[in-house]
Amino acid sequence: MQGDFYAYTLAASKAILILLSFAILLRCLRSMLREEYDPETWAYLRYGRDRLPVQHWEVIIGRSPDADVYIPEREIARSHAILRRNDLGQWRVYDVFSRGGVWVNNVFVDDDGTEIVSGDILNLNGICVRFEDLSMEKRERLESKRSGVGRRYSPSLTLLMLTAFQLFLLLQHSFYAEPETLPDIALGFGSLIVMEWSCFNAMRIINRAGFEIETLAFYLSSLGMSVAASSTPEDMYKQILLTLTGVVLFLLCGWWQRSLQRTASTRVLVAAGALLLLGINVVASDVVLGARNWLEFWGFSFQPSEIVKVGYVYVGAATLDRLFRRNNLYVFIGFSAICVMALALIGDFGTALVFFVCFLVISFMRSGSIATVMLAVTGAGLAGFLAVSARPYIAQRFASWGHVWEDIYDKGFQQTRAMSAAAAGGLFGKGAGNGWLHRIFAANTDLVFGMVCEELGLLIACMMVLAVILLACFAIRSARTGRSAYYSIAACAAMTILLTQLALNVFGSMDILPFTGVTFPFVSRGGSSMLSCWMMMAFLKSADNRREASFAVRPGETIRSASDREAIREARREKRAEKKQATKAGRAAKKQSRRGGAS
Amino acid sequence: MKKLNRRALSVMMIALFIILGLFTYIERFLRDGESWASYFSRLNSLSEGYVTDRNGVLLAAFTANDNSYNEDRNTRIANYHVTGDFWNRTGTGILTNFARQLHSYSPITGMTQTKRISLKLNVDSVLNNKAYAALAGRKGAVGVVNYRTGELICMVSSPAVDPIESDPVAPEGVYINRLLSATFTPGSIFKLVTAAAAIECVPSIWQRSFFCLGEEEISGVLFHCPFEHYTNDFRGALANSCNIAFAQIAISVGQREMVNHVRAYGFLDSHSLDGIPTAAGSYPLEFVGDPETGWSGIGQSTDLICPYSMLRFVAAIANDGVLVEPKLIDDGKPAEQSLLVNPETARTMQDLMRNNVIQTYGDNRFPGLEVCGKTGTAEVGDGTDHAWFTGFLKDEEHPYAFIVFVEQGGGGLSVATPIANTVLQAAMRRGTDMEY
Repeated sequence: MQGDFYAYTLAASKAILILLSFAILLRCLRSMLREEYDPETWAYLRYGRDRLPVQHWEVIIGRSPDADVYIPEREIARSHAILRRNDLGQWRVYDVFSRGGVWVNNVFVDDDGTEIVSGDILNLNGICVRFEDLSMEKRERLESKRSGVGRRYSPSLTLLMLTAFQLFLLLQHSFYAEPETLPDIALGFGSLIVMEWSCFNAMRIINRAGFEIETLAFYLSSLGMSVAASSTPEDMYKQILLTLTGVVLFLLCGWWQRSLQRTASTRVLVAAGALLLLGINVVASDVVLGARNWLEFWGFSFQPSEIVKVGYVYVGAATLDRLFRRNNLYVFIGFSAICVMALALIGDFGTALVFFVCFLVISFMRSGSIATVMLAVTGAGLAGFLAVSARPYIAQRFASWGHVWEDIYDKGFQQTRAMSAAAAGGLFGKGAGNGWLHRIFAANTDLVFGMVCEELGLLIACMMVLAVILLACFAIRSARTGRSAYYSIAACAAMTILLTQLALNVFGSMDILPFTGVTFPFVSRGGSSMLSCWMMMAFLKSADNRREASFAVRPGETIRSASDREAIREARREKRAEKKQATKAGRAAKKQSRRGGAS
Repeated sequence: MKKLNRRALSVMMIALFIILGLFTYIERFLRDGESWASYFSRLNSLSEGYVTDRNGVLLAAFTANDNSYNEDRNTRIANYHVTGDFWNRTGTGILTNFARQLHSYSPITGMTQTKRISLKLNVDSVLNNKAYAALAGRKGAVGVVNYRTGELICMVSSPAVDPIESDPVAPEGVYINRLLSATFTPGSIFKLVTAAAAIECVPSIWQRSFFCLGEEEISGVLFHCPFEHYTNDFRGALANSCNIAFAQIAISVGQREMVNHVRAYGFLDSHSLDGIPTAAGSYPLEFVGDPETGWSGIGQSTDLICPYSMLRFVAAIANDGVLVEPKLIDDGKPAEQSLLVNPETARTMQDLMRNNVIQTYGDNRFPGLEVCGKTGTAEVGDGTDHAWFTGFLKDEEHPYAFIVFVEQGGGGLSVATPIANTVLQAAMRRGTDMEY
């Protein structure tokens, strides 16, 4: 009787997990991709009778239909000029090496651009347009008309579903886990629930309604928590701590990127830091299982390459005005080459490939030239060929690819176990915590797809993959409406890294690609990987400029000129000084009175 | 920014690549998932699967903690080609071909079910032991089928290995089931096919007589017999297995009709023994000249047959032309039946085959049995011969058709018939519940 009861509960919980996963994904998909969101409007260009909206912080003016502000006049170049707004609300115009040049109020615009204010006349090779900035009130009115996020698909309901998903996972673990580890596992899922709801409420307080990215990240993290509960239930605290750190870093990075100026000015610093980390890694790390990608710090081992990934995206993305300067791209190509070579030296070919694919996407987004990409691929192919012919043992590492079943005790050991366990799970899985694959080395990192297939079934494993793809689609969609090219490129680059990792992880363990041992975003156990994935989400978050959706995007107050801004600052400073004065005076008075009381 | 929008689609290509990969994986999962799962997940599964012979003797078992076989080493080896092994080293074994059933595996539920499956075979493991012992380590095969019910009661291929040994000292070709999966030069047993074709296509066959002085030139090519057979009619030519006579008979039948009959009797096709595919034979399909037709008519030339297809053919003859398709597994369903040989021809052939034994081989070779058969000694070309003996028992109690084959074993009469006798005697005793 009791056996029957367990069997029915298990079967029901399996079905519920799948339905909840499906519902969560579907709601996020609809909310992120299906709903239409209006673009922001930041200024107008008046040309004759037309009023052309400026919908980003960086726009190209030109004759090409691809131009953001499209003026079909023969005199104008295809891409003629760039308008760019900074965090303070100041606008500058740049010439894009056009034939006729750009004048502002009859003054020639040189390479550094010229600041413009409302009412200025831009002369684009004889075509004159008038620049009109928006007043604060006007902008607010326009902003309030934009459709917001979360009306049709309430984020709290989606999050509630996620909470139920986590509770059912916990229920399944309670069937199979050792009784003494069960409190830790419960604590793991409990703290996830606390984290996601406090995050959600914090967003509510600062009036931000978009929570799909966080929901999907927490969804993947719950699967990661389940994997940790199956494989290392004695070590749950570490997983909790890592997720918490990840979320904090996510919030910090998102906040940091609210200011474009701040990111632009720190880019060189980050690049230097990234190279330094990789340098230390090359020189000082231990060889652990063929790859020297680990560093030991006070008992914590961590993978510098994971953190460098974030820096790489940070350095690689660029604002629109910089895209038109070739030498910027050359510096980036040099930086990328050093990173990839360092990783190859370490022997971490999987991560080197991840960087390389990311490099391809960034350089294509920056240059738009397929030739550049082809050149890079050919170059890399040549380098790879040279490396393999000079060091045949590199090729040997990939020799078992496609033949793992012929060598099940050595080269194909891990993959064959993963495939066997995955097949045994069928569509619905054996139940969380009921697998055997976790006993195999690196099951909870490199073979994590097999583990999820075995315990939760192929359907949930597929949805886990689709969740990452969904985030990538959102990054692509955001590229259209993004305020700055920086945010769009960064979001796409971050998702490229996660997608490539996912492909290498899933298909490597299932013998469709060579087995390189990279992690599955959020799900694989691994400290540095978890942190870097959350930080990647910050890039996505700052590209999300639906109305009041993202904490990483400023509302975008309009300040008419720098002097106004300065005046406001002055006023604030004075106020603060006054307050200080007042408290000082108050304290002095108190002291006085106390002394008086004593005497 | 519009430009970026289009360029961002490059990320989509990676996503599409992943979806493509996922479909590849799902396709492989559906196709091979069962064999993946059977490797390592089997031991962690809750279902059980048992393979037993017709008398309930355990041959192999999947259980929760162990994969096991029969406890007796000789039984394991003799039945190796029936069971196969857990490593799928031989393609024809039950463990390989019925793994999905035995594992209770399905792509939907994986290996999560708790079921107890048993698979009962028609094979008699004790009879297999006897047959394997009779082959005495030589390369060869024995097959015995009940031609009335289709039960395949004996299937042995020699040599075999002990399935529990992961890396045995294995002679070449040990993993090939010689009864099902290989083809060999048939030699004189093929004269049965030529004779059946002649009965149907050459009306004057019964009036003809054939003269043999040990060698004769036919259409410019010299044919040999081991002895001078002198004058023989059709009946005597088959009993004496006269090459010169049968080369002429094949030529009289003609290449086209020979091919038609060979094809109709199923020698050129791959058959399915409960889903296990057998090897397809070959026969020269084009007319090259009378001598070649003669050579192929006596089972030489480029003729290659699978022993199993010959077993089907004699089983059909024994059953008045109706083939009861052999079955390896006792699933309670009746076997399929089809008309393979013209009933008239079949009855004539029965008579001829009985005459072979009476006139040439001697009933004293098979004490107490009424055997109808045909021997064969096939020249391989390197001086060695394949020994063959095929036929059936004319016995309603024990309606067994059989084939015995010893690869490069020597003369059919001296090598193959004693093995057949041993196996058939054992089968008789098993059939009547007498102690073996």
